[in-house]
This record gives sequence, structure tokens and C-alpha cells, in this order.
Amino acid sequence: MTRLLPWLYLAAAFLFIYLPVAALVLFSFQDGGLPVPPFEGPSLRWYADILSDDDVMAALTNSLMVAVASAAVACVLGFLAAYGLARHVLPGSALIRGLLIAPLTVSYLIVGLGLLIVIQRTGLGLSLFTAGIGHVVINLPLCFAIIYASMGAQQQNAERAARDLGADEFRVITLVTLPMLAPALAAAFFLSVTLSWDEFIISFLLTRFDVTLPVEIWSMLRSGLSPRLNAIGSLVFLISVTAVLVLEIFVFRKRRP
Amino acid sequence: MTAPVTLTSLNHWFGDYHALRDITLDTDAGEYVTLLGPSGCGKTTLLSVLGGFIEPTDGTVRIGGRDMTRVPPARRPTTTMFQDYALFPHMSLRDNTAFGLRMAGVALAERHARAHEMLELVGLSHAAASRPHELSGGQRQRVALARALAVRPDVLLLDEPLGALDLKLRRSMQDELKSIQRSIGTTFVHVTHDQEEAMAIADRIVVMNAGRIEDAGTPARIYRQPSTLFAADFMGDMNHIPAQVSDGIATTAFGKLRAPNVPDGAAVLCIRPEALGISGDLDIGAATVTDTSFFGTYVRAHLRLETAPDLKVTAHLPPENPPGPGAQVQMFATTGAVSIFAKGD
Repeated sequence: MTRLLPWLYLAAAFLFIYLPVAALVLFSFQDGGLPVPPFEGPSLRWYADILSDDDVMAALTNSLMVAVASAAVACVLGFLAAYGLARHVLPGSALIRGLLIAPLTVSYLIVGLGLLIVIQRTGLGLSLFTAGIGHVVINLPLCFAIIYASMGAQQQNAERAARDLGADEFRVITLVTLPMLAPALAAAFFLSVTLSWDEFIISFLLTRFDVTLPVEIWSMLRSGLSPRLNAIGSLVFLISVTAVLVLEIFVFRKRRP
Repeated sequence: MTAPVTLTSLNHWFGDYHALRDITLDTDAGEYVTLLGPSGCGKTTLLSVLGGFIEPTDGTVRIGGRDMTRVPPARRPTTTMFQDYALFPHMSLRDNTAFGLRMAGVALAERHARAHEMLELVGLSHAAASRPHELSGGQRQRVALARALAVRPDVLLLDEPLGALDLKLRRSMQDELKSIQRSIGTTFVHVTHDQEEAMAIADRIVVMNAGRIEDAGTPARIYRQPSTLFAADFMGDMNHIPAQVSDGIATTAFGKLRAPNVPDGAAVLCIRPEALGISGDLDIGAATVTDTSFFGTYVRAHLRLETAPDLKVTAHLPPENPPGPGAQVQMFATTGAVSIFAKGD
């Protein structure tokens, strides 16, 4: 009995975590008009429905664009900040590091509101571009922290060796620093993509006509529950899981020699 | 390729800390020099100054007669073999070794040929396509050596290169480093804190302490006739016998000795354990053995001198029929192996 207990606990924990997702996915295959028991089906009609819905598909494309672009910008900025702070002695560098990471502790709502006020002041209209800016703001601290943490002494020594062997700064960065940082850069990039992909509140506040998928889902929710939402949710879940798996297989596995 | 290194009045401060004090040193082209000293003595700082990683506060560094004091590492005729090897983990051994040549704009085929040649020199040509993480510590060491030598530097700087290896491997790498240095003729400057390693490989040892050069010369000279008390102690076990010097004569518990060039006052007489024994030209007097330990080629004995009962000396005695604890022995020393230094030197 005591040997069984840990397994029961494990099963209960996983049930607790995955039951909502399982229910979501299950009822996306519902053949009726409501995503509630009893389950009738399976049927792919709701998938056909959303895949032929231009608004949903446009939102999905928008989301991907915003996620990839904002993650790329956050990685570039995060790398530049990490390189500067890890390789040069600057006055007040601890303070600069703190200020770079601090936005992690600010709620997305506050970040979104702040940006909304600033953007409206500057007269820059709300669009996917402004939502992208918002996602860079929330992902930059994360990218910086991940990249900065992996710029250790081992890397610094390799850069020193490259300089010693005649490399100029540009070639030190392109031939040694960036390739050695590839796992950290990829981790930062994919994490940013998934966070931006799921993000709702900033996108909601900073977009107007073209919206991202979470915002589109929210507006569909206002007209009540429907297996369509389950189908969209399942797709979103599938894409997030793919991103995480890609990260796991191509980045973290490589790290272990 | 090889070149002499000339250091003139080098001084370096890290903030308020005086890390290098008046370093002046002249090495010949093709010499194997070791910088020897305890941690914090400035030997690694000096190596970094030679490599161009630290710009000295003042003084000049000349390599092959050219002033290199303010020239960055990339444009110096030096390369460094770093303590942690600093290999590029994302490149094959071939690309690691060829990196310097690639930076110099050497064509692909030529630099691969040269990389192969260097890997052959260190016995790793069969593994040219592997990555550094597939290698053992000793093998990484060899790749670091091949990489540093591939660009044909005038001077190779080695920063405690054997520190991470086990004793047996370290001994064999010492021999190998020395034979590679002989065959290519490049000037090697090797930092270490291990005096046995320094003696095993160096043409010249530079003993450093607290940012200063204490002594510089051949291993035999520094071991036998050290110029300072610090160098005497650092090179190996040393018996310290208190003495009083006046007018060039040192008075000790067991008699008087000539001590030219030692100022009057308290002094220390230094004798290596192996220069103390049951024969010699300087009578030290009777002594009682307190304990012995067997070391294979000699027996290390602690003795108490009759003439100075509170003084403990260490002697290396022949391993055949060593005296046991409590035995009385008549002790002698070799005058040539005795050094006298003013106290507080």
C-alpha cells in the first residue's frame, strides 16, 4: 500500500494538470453544438470550420508573425545587452542588470497600460507592430537573463584565445561567441515565441483591427461556448507543444555531451 | 620561428596593488623559460603582459627587438596556451588548430594541411574530425598546443598548462613539451608553481615573489646557489640554521664559516637535506636521529644536533643500513652546498 501511494499521488497530480487540456482536446472532436458531455463523435467538423474561417486564420498568421518577429528582436537586444555587461566593466553595471531584469516583475497589465498611454501620446496607431513592441518589452528581460547566464568564464577564455590567434572583434563574435551561445540563443528565442504566442492582455490593449489569436479567441468567447473554441485551443496547444519539443530535442539535448 | 624577449623596468598596478615591481629580464631566442612562484606572485600577470592581455603601467616589452608594449594580442608574434585550454567547443580539432591560420587569411587547403601537420606533431592526427568534448584532458592539452603553434609564433606562452593533469601524465607531457620545443626552436615562456616541473623542463627558471624577480638562472644554479632566501626555500626542502655574521665570518652553533658579501648581523645558513650526511668537508658535529622515513632512493631523517639541541635538521641518508631513531651520528656538510643569507632578506 505504501509503495502504491507515491504512484497514486503522481497519477492524481498529472490528472489535475492535464484533465482540462484533455477535456479541451476531447470536445474539439464533438459532433454537437456544445462542448459539454455527453461526448458525441468523433468529428472533424469544427476543425474544418475554423480552418475555413478567414478571421481565425488571419489571427493565427498574425500571432505567428508577432511571436517570431518580437522573439527575434528580443534575442538580438538581449544578446547585445548581455555581451556588453558580461565583457566590459561599466560603472553601475549591477544596477543596469537589475533594471534590465526588473520588468519581469511588472504585471503584463501594467506594461500594456503603460505602453498604451505612451503609444497614444506619440500618435503611433495601434497595430500588430505595437503589440510586437509590447512583446519585446516583456521578453527582453528573459532573453537577457538566459543569454547573460551562459556567458561564463569558459566562453570568455575561448574569446581571449580567438583574439590571441589574430581574430578581430567582429570575427570573435561571429566565429566564437555566437556559435558557443547557440543553445542559449535558441532557448531564449523559443521561450519568447511561446510566451508571445500565448500572450493576451498586451495584445488586447495594443492591437486594433488586425488581432492576434488569443484576442480573436476572446472575442469569439463573448458569443458563448462552442466546440470551435476547443478546436482552436487544441491547435494553439499543438503549436506550443511543438515549439517546446523542438527546443528540447535540438537545444537541450545537444548541451549534454 | 623564434625571437628573444626583453623586458625592461616593467611595473604594473591593479588599483593600489603593485602586481609587478621593476621586472627586467632578457631571454635568448629559443630558450625555455619558466616563471616560477607561489600563487599571487605576479607570474600570470607577467605572462598576460607578454601576451598583450594586460598593458603594463610602465616599462617596455620587446619581442625580437620590436617594441610590443602596447600592441594588442592579435598582432603580436606570441600565442598562448591557456590554463583551461580554451578550445572552441563547436569546432573540430582540425578547425581549432587551423583557426589562427584562418584569421591570417591562409587558404583552406593549406591551413588544413598545416593543421594536420600540427596535430601529427602532438599525436592526434587520427582525431582531426572529433570535437574537443570527445577528448581526455591530456588530449585537449595537446590540441591547445597544436593550435597555438600552428601560426608559427616567435614566442609561445604557457599558463600553468599541466596544472589539471594527473602526476604521471604531467611528467610525460613535460618531456613532450620540452622535446617539441627543442625540435621547433620557438621561445617558450611557461608559468608554473611546481618547482619540480620548472627544473624538469626549463633552460632558465625565473623565481618570482610578491611581484618581484627573486632569482633567474639555470635550474642547477638556482637550486644549488640561490641568490635569495626565498628562492632557496621555494626550490625545495631547506635546513635553516641561525648564524651571526661579522666581518665576513658567520658564527653558528657548530663553528665558523666564511660568509663573504653578507652584511653584519643575524643571518640564516641554508643547507639542502641531501647536502647533509655522514661525509663531507664541514664537520657539523654529533647528532641524534629522532625519526626516519623511507623514500626508496633515500631515507629522510630528522636529527637533533648536539651543539644546538633545540634545532631540528633534515638530512637525506643513503637507504642502505640507515641509522634508527635514537642513534648517534657524526654529521658533515659540503661547503659548496651551503648558502648564507642575511636575516629578513
